Amino acid sequence: MATVEVRNLRKVFQGEDRQVVALDGVSFSASGHTFVSIVGPSGCGKSTLLNVLAGVEHPTSGRADILQGDRRAQVGYVFQAPRLLPWRTVMQNMLFVQKERTQQVRERAARYLKMVGLAEDHAAFPAQLSGGMQQRVGIARAFSIEPDALLMDEPFSHLDAITARGLRRELYEMWFDTKKTVLFVTHDVGEAVELSDRMVILAKGGKLRDDIKVDLPYPRDPADDKVALMKADVLRTFEELDLVAT
Amino acid sequence: MTTVELTRPAERSRFARIGRVLLTPRAARITAPLLFLLVWQLVAPLIPSRILPMPSEVAEAMWEQLRDGTMVDAFSISILRLAAGFAIALVVGSVIGLAMGLSSRVEAFFHDFVIVGLTFPYLIWGLLVAMWFGFEGNGPLIVVVIAGLPYVILNMSEGVRDVSKDLRDMATSYEVPNGRVLQHLILPSLSPFFFASLRYGLANGWKGLVLAEVFAATSGAGYVINEMQEYGFFAGVIGFALWFALFSILVERLIFGRLSRRVFRWRSTTASAEKVRRVEPFEAMVD
Amino acid sequence: MATRTVPPQEAPAPGIETPTERPKPRLWAWRLAGYVLFIGAWVLLATYAFEVYILPSPTRVLAEMREILGKGDFWENFLATLQHLFIGFTIAYVVGTAIGIAMGRSSYWDGFFHDYVMLALTTPGLVFALICVMIFGLSTWAPIVAIVLTTFPHVTVNVVEGVRSIPRDLLDMASAYGVDRRTQLRHVILPAIAPFLFTAVRYGFAIAWKITALTELFGGSEGVGIQIRVKFELFNMAGVLAWAFFLVAFALIMERVVLQRLERRFFRWRPKAFA
Repeated sequence: MATVEVRNLRKVFQGEDRQVVALDGVSFSASGHTFVSIVGPSGCGKSTLLNVLAGVEHPTSGRADILQGDRRAQVGYVFQAPRLLPWRTVMQNMLFVQKERTQQVRERAARYLKMVGLAEDHAAFPAQLSGGMQQRVGIARAFSIEPDALLMDEPFSHLDAITARGLRRELYEMWFDTKKTVLFVTHDVGEAVELSDRMVILAKGGKLRDDIKVDLPYPRDPADDKVALMKADVLRTFEELDLVAT
Repeated sequence: MTTVELTRPAERSRFARIGRVLLTPRAARITAPLLFLLVWQLVAPLIPSRILPMPSEVAEAMWEQLRDGTMVDAFSISILRLAAGFAIALVVGSVIGLAMGLSSRVEAFFHDFVIVGLTFPYLIWGLLVAMWFGFEGNGPLIVVVIAGLPYVILNMSEGVRDVSKDLRDMATSYEVPNGRVLQHLILPSLSPFFFASLRYGLANGWKGLVLAEVFAATSGAGYVINEMQEYGFFAGVIGFALWFALFSILVERLIFGRLSRRVFRWRSTTASAEKVRRVEPFEAMVD
Repeated sequence: MATRTVPPQEAPAPGIETPTERPKPRLWAWRLAGYVLFIGAWVLLATYAFEVYILPSPTRVLAEMREILGKGDFWENFLATLQHLFIGFTIAYVVGTAIGIAMGRSSYWDGFFHDYVMLALTTPGLVFALICVMIFGLSTWAPIVAIVLTTFPHVTVNVVEGVRSIPRDLLDMASAYGVDRRTQLRHVILPAIAPFLFTAVRYGFAIAWKITALTELFGGSEGVGIQIRVKFELFNMAGVLAWAFFLVAFALIMERVVLQRLERRFFRWRPKAFA
């Protein structure tokens, strides 16, 4: 479990002849066993926020840290595309991101592969797996380093509805059992309502517009009325905040 | 709804009568050289032998060249020069190519030279090294370096630029140490480009080498075939040309075919996917 | 090529300060540095390290060039070479295109020509040049036939790729709308293969002019190739380099300036540039 601290974060991209403000003074914090969704339309900077937290991009100004006590937390990152090394097997991909290569670590990686149901495919190459399976490897990989926090960038948006549904359930169970801090980026309000206990709303131009608690009890059934009501509620908020893009 | 027929002109040809089998592409590969031999055999008697020898004369010459070691000696020496020269081109070219891929400044510095290197005729290089190194020197080897270098540089620099940023970001986000990134991400990502360097660098190195041997050597395949032409041994010239052709075919089929298939077996083909145990569809696991 | 995950471009909000980024490197300086280094090295080596007949200085080469231009026969020779080149290239292009279309449309012809095309692409030009000189002697046919034999495969390879890339789905669409064959040819097929026909010109030309000079060197009576041989046999390296410069300059102008510019102008709609 970790603490996420974002303070006045600004990120500006310098193009050839103009600038793009991806994040404009975003501040929020989260800690402990929580599932935070970062929601917003395309272009609101949610992926950029995750990239800064992951250390892939650097802030133009302000701070964004994920801490475990005093030190930087161990962070697992799941991407939209699985981002597996295509020339290495599933197991080799799992081992690529580990800190050590001991027998213990190998067994741990195997355990997480089993958790996502891919233990038998550990020697397959990514091209031999379906999109959903590849994404499951990506999730297993992130969990297998036993991080303090998990960052996920629209991990299910490229999958078909049926596969995505199953993976959401898997993800929920893994989060619930391992008690991690999860930051989950999505543009799908329904997905956010189904999974998270808190929703941070970003608008186009990179401004934080709202912070909504989702108080519904776990486990949640996406077909449940309460979930649907909450979703409608949030969407109305979007309209009020003028977030619906034109 | 009608579909446009773009293929099948062969069915209307005269050969349709001879048999369906002859129409297959496989048969065509054999028919072509046979047809060529036939035409040659028919035309050659009509032309003085000193201009166009008969196939039988050429075959005899080829056999002689094999028997008395001329062919093997000549090609061995040439291959050695090619290997040595290309090794240099590969090392130097990889360094320059990688540097060019990583730095736009280095790219600006070398770019025009690479272009000229691609355009400059091997003939001139052959003549130049003949002047600089004489007959007994390393002229041909140097030409291999010069001819192969631009292709190695071009491919390696493109390879560096092609390394997936997504994968690099993934490695960064997991704080994977640099050594591992190099070994498991960058080098495998470069391998198709490395192969392209090999292929084009060697092919062009070979062409430059053979030509340089005419002016700057006293041995080797290029020198031998030129000698035969100067002495008017025409059957020998054509025979040796056929040895060249055989050499090309051997290298293409055996080396590049086999090697690239082995190294790239991670690429999904229907054949390799079938070898994986058939996995149940994920949907079955959800409910 | 590095791509960034940048959100869609928007006008910046007012009052935003420019973030500090590394200033763009002055690339033209580096390019210039390359030339300076090259010419500098040449001058130094020519003056102090080598004999004048092994490595003439740039000024000597320039003097030779002036002399060659001054003499009456420069244009005779250059035009002879151009003649060989363009006749040979035209024949090679027509033959290569015909074979390429046949190979692209029919797997039979693909099988028939495939091996020769592969051989012609990998066999050194020297072999072709010697054989043609052997058969045709000093006549103009030697370079022309050599050009045809070596160049048509390069044309063919590109035409085959063009034929294979004809969008069948567009043709099916055209048929579904009842568009006649001729219109399909004009508006779908020709534009689809035109870029490949163009690339075929570029690659074919690149090999053709080299083979022209080579064949002329071994057995010609007129042309740049023969002039180079004469200079070489007189140990006049400056002369060799002078003629080489004329030849390469011509080729570079044709390849990089004329053809590439034309290609870019006519084929702007193509999403990806073919090397």
